[in-house]
Amino acid sequence: MTLRDDPCDNCEEMLQPYLDRELTTIERAEAEAHLDTCEYCRRRYRFEVELRRFVRNAVVEPMAPELKQRLSSLRTPL
Amino acid sequence: MGEPSPTETRQLADDARARVRFEEEALELADQVYQVARRLVGSREEAEDLMQDTYARAFRSWRSYQPGTNLRAWLLRILTNLNIDKARARQRRPQTEPLEEGDYFLYNRLAGSGGDQQPEEEERVLARLSQDGVVGALSELPHDFRDVVVLVDIGGFAYAEAAQILDIPVGTVMSRLHRGRRILKRQLAEEASDDPS
Repeated sequence: MTLRDDPCDNCEEMLQPYLDRELTTIERAEAEAHLDTCEYCRRRYRFEVELRRFVRNAVVEPMAPELKQRLSSLRTPL
Repeated sequence: MGEPSPTETRQLADDARARVRFEEEALELADQVYQVARRLVGSREEAEDLMQDTYARAFRSWRSYQPGTNLRAWLLRILTNLNIDKARARQRRPQTEPLEEGDYFLYNRLAGSGGDQQPEEEERVLARLSQDGVVGALSELPHDFRDVVVLVDIGGFAYAEAAQILDIPVGTVMSRLHRGRRILKRQLAEEASDDPS
């Protein structure tokens, strides 16, 4: 184990709640203090932000217009 | 049997108007609901069936929707319930415990071992993933994890909303989301290393 391992492992654990804004103020400050000094973690945090955007965009599949018509036809007749 | 009173007539008219408004609002959300439906199930056909069942039920039980609350969440609650019923009916083989790694795993794998001597831009690392890879990895996620990941990361719902839709505690949403994302990353890493390009 190098000296760096512990704080980076800790920072890795905080990645998801940090980006989800679920950390307490103290935890957030802790994560940010580490990120300020650690390019290794900063890079992986930035990657995570990009990854989330990529996943969101990758799965978009427009609904078939016929389906919309079929859904409309399920409406209660007036 | 006499004619309905003016009050009754007015009530009927109000009722009809409220129903029409509900149906129109629900249909306006169909594209967004479909995006979630499509990722909860394996195929376009299944998603379309699920949408039709959902809207048929929603139109029947529109009175149980409280105006002013989140209609998209209400529709997805119906949809996920129907999907759980269908999944039970399909009774697939028991799912094996999926493997997960830490949150840095995917980056480390994609960037390669020498990645930190000559760090690469995140976009270039990300370019090693394909759209199909993401779709495939998501569909491989076990149900419980996929429901939560899809609702939060694709549907954009907050933890509390996802908890309401799925009728599970917020803590369960958080733990499934956390693990689900890690499983997803592990699968993405595998898909990327399988890809010869």
